[in-house]
Amino acid sequence: MKNNRAILITAAVIAFFTVFFLFPMVYALQAAFRADGGGFTFKYLLGVFRNPIYLEGLWNALRVGIGSMVLAILIAFPLALASHRWVFPGKKWLGVLILAPLVLPPFVGAVGVKEILGVHGSFNAILIQFGMMDATNPRDWLGQGRFFGVILMNALHLYPILYMNVLAALSKLDPAMEQAAQNLGCPPWERFKRITLPLCMPGIFSGAAVVFIWSFTELGVPLVFDYTRISSVQIYDGIKDLNQNPMPYALIFVMVLISTIIYLVSKSLFANKAVVVEGKPSVASNERILSPAKGMIVSAVFMSIFVIACIPHIGVILLSVSGDWYGTMLPSDMTLAHYGEGLSHPLVVPSIQNSLFYGLGATALDLILGTAIAWVIVRSTMRGRHLLDALMMLPLAVPGLVLAFGYLALSQPGQPLDFLVGASNNPAMLLIIAYAVRRLPYVVRAAVAGLQQSNVSLEEAARTMGATAQSTVRRIALPLIGANLAAGAILAFAFAMLEVSDSLILAQQAEHYPITKAIYALLSTLGNGHELAAALGVWAMVFLGVALIGAFTLAGKKAGGIFRF
Amino acid sequence: MDDIRIESLVKEFGEERALDHVNLHVEAGELFFLLGSSGCGKTTLLRSIAGLETPDHGQIFFGDREMNKVPTHKREAAMVFQSFALWPHMTVGQNIAFGLEERRVPGKEIRERVDDALERVQLAGYGERTIDQLSGGQQQRVALARALVVKPKCLLLDEPLSNLDSRLRMEMRSEIRRIVKENGLTGIYVTHDQEEALSMADRMAIMDQGRILQVGTPEQIYRDPLTAHVASFIGETNLIEGEVESIVRDDRHMSVRVVSSAGFFQGRVTKANWRPSEGTPVLVSIRPEAMYIDDSRDVLNRVNGVIEESTYLGRSVQYHFRGDDGLRLRVTEVNPHWMRQPGDHVAVLARTRDVVVLKH
Repeated sequence: MKNNRAILITAAVIAFFTVFFLFPMVYALQAAFRADGGGFTFKYLLGVFRNPIYLEGLWNALRVGIGSMVLAILIAFPLALASHRWVFPGKKWLGVLILAPLVLPPFVGAVGVKEILGVHGSFNAILIQFGMMDATNPRDWLGQGRFFGVILMNALHLYPILYMNVLAALSKLDPAMEQAAQNLGCPPWERFKRITLPLCMPGIFSGAAVVFIWSFTELGVPLVFDYTRISSVQIYDGIKDLNQNPMPYALIFVMVLISTIIYLVSKSLFANKAVVVEGKPSVASNERILSPAKGMIVSAVFMSIFVIACIPHIGVILLSVSGDWYGTMLPSDMTLAHYGEGLSHPLVVPSIQNSLFYGLGATALDLILGTAIAWVIVRSTMRGRHLLDALMMLPLAVPGLVLAFGYLALSQPGQPLDFLVGASNNPAMLLIIAYAVRRLPYVVRAAVAGLQQSNVSLEEAARTMGATAQSTVRRIALPLIGANLAAGAILAFAFAMLEVSDSLILAQQAEHYPITKAIYALLSTLGNGHELAAALGVWAMVFLGVALIGAFTLAGKKAGGIFRF
Repeated sequence: MDDIRIESLVKEFGEERALDHVNLHVEAGELFFLLGSSGCGKTTLLRSIAGLETPDHGQIFFGDREMNKVPTHKREAAMVFQSFALWPHMTVGQNIAFGLEERRVPGKEIRERVDDALERVQLAGYGERTIDQLSGGQQQRVALARALVVKPKCLLLDEPLSNLDSRLRMEMRSEIRRIVKENGLTGIYVTHDQEEALSMADRMAIMDQGRILQVGTPEQIYRDPLTAHVASFIGETNLIEGEVESIVRDDRHMSVRVVSSAGFFQGRVTKANWRPSEGTPVLVSIRPEAMYIDDSRDVLNRVNGVIEESTYLGRSVQYHFRGDDGLRLRVTEVNPHWMRQPGDHVAVLARTRDVVVLKH
């Protein structure tokens, strides 16, 4: 019975996935295998491995991926642990602020970074002012940092994903397990290594997988740093010139392949030992109130990570209020005019409404699909459910641009997905689905981690009390993994709101523009376009920030203070 | 209220056979125990009855109705879990009301029945508490109330007392039995605690390696074990190897005389369809408390030897005894007037009706 339902869900999700993910991807990637005469060829695929430049790019992408992941873990894990274990001044707010990198809008973020760290940016201006740098020979932080700069920016941008996952995992840990280790004479460090770490491995793994694959394929950050010897930039340069060069597509195929293999291998290494926490509901937590001095130190660490992670935000905010800004620490002339101007601009308000609609639609779709598929992966005994798990991670490995091209081609009049756009040429449905497909992995991972940590007998008890399968899911399983779902949904929503590739390519009329495309359009207008775009970016950050804080407080209350802000 | 029949039930987990053609009949209104060491299949059997496991083969009937295709929530078989499985996101009252809400019981009646259920488990006024504000014993009673409030046809209990302290366990034993009997439920209770089973059960089944070894009342199981495994699993016993010397009585109650290196024994054959003949190797089972120290001249069921160790337990003394041929026995003397010291030479005896002869 259980498996029949699992098979039904799987069939439905795979159908959805095939039509809206595999089909557009294959459609876009077929260029990689189409021979000149029309037949099928592996020539280009092999060509990728014969080309030393592409190989170097792949190697660098791999190093960037692993480096960013490790650094993100190093940032996020101690923060999550501190927040889980200790009470320190301002914890509630610092816990929210630390998620700030999530709300950074694209494009303007890059512009913001340049305003701060560029040759004529604030940072150099400060150094020059204090006599620590020669004004005639300023350092180019972005150009010269490159490799480590990319890793640092990736890690600073992505650590909130890990932070949320680890915190959710930690909050489900029964404190008695740590106390038991302590009681058996285990010193704190050993206890952490042998008890805490292994038990929250599902949370770390799900976050780390996302961070790795994201950094491995990240395009924006290397572009800002002008770091061109990496696959994503090579692909971008290759596709940009729009001639039918098949090599970039072959390279994309290789990246998808590598991502999948790495995901599967690391999963079998780290995440196979599913941790089921048996026993009574957890005892009271052992959150400790730190002494004022120690508390201040922890708060300061949180604060400084927040500040460093917010360099792009600060740049955007400064730009949005600047009348004139060149080579000084702060804009030499401040004004709020851009905000007023922005709101009256015909692009701005509709774009916010559109983005909200698309983002909420995509998040809702992801929640339904993601929870159902997570249930199949964790609770059923269906054969091949582990493959399904890996399949659900694929969208992370496929660059947005590829899918966007696929969607565009397939939604032309006469093509199979034309019905989504219709005669009115409204891309809403298409965008919602496109957003949802690429954000599904976050929700799946979050829900899987939640279900793995929640005791199955709680659900079985409901069944023996006369609850139907649906009712059990609705009243028991979902509320119990509410915090995990909220975390996944928040990520999905935030990233949907700030999505770039689908938005740029699929929204073609100004009235359908989402925020990102509006920002892009504003950036390319003459005059004060940059400042207007920055103002809209700030609006987006404020808006998203409020939405996230709201969602977190809600989830926090409902899930019994699981996030403990 | 229905009786429960299990026919030829098989459940495999990969290579391992958790249930191996299990047949069982639990009478309506009976408090039935499944007893066995861990991994014997008792919990799998209980979960199959609840519908939480799908058997690979065989059938389960409630009354005349085959239940294999009936989903868990329609079986009216409420289960109490070893971990209690109380929902941490609901209050005590909400936990108990859950099953009634699922049955679309009107709100007013729900409140009445929840209050009533709380009262019955002596937790009146605890409805608003959260689960983590309760002690282990209180949680256990909430789990019980939650299962009882829906008036299930049968109550399934999976080691419900194993997380409680011994005094509470004693109290809850009679409490659970009272509640099952008062409500006329068919109860199936899984445990590995033999004292719990002996003191509470109407009847019980002893399981081992996915099979049922013996079904009977506590007295039948204790007095007339069918196999050496059952005899040594329930209570303590002395097992003495020997072979049949002669048949004393061969009617419905077969009685045989056994020769062993320690001497002659005479006892009952409990296995109905087993007819040992002269020379058949057998095991003689005698409970420690059935043995007594005596200086009579009897030669049957008598072993001469020496006390090796004695333990005073107040109402009884336990002796470790070694026969002259090296046979080691445990002997319990009830209401002892004096202790025998290690090194004392004595003879221990047993009455023929306390001696059971089992297949070797």
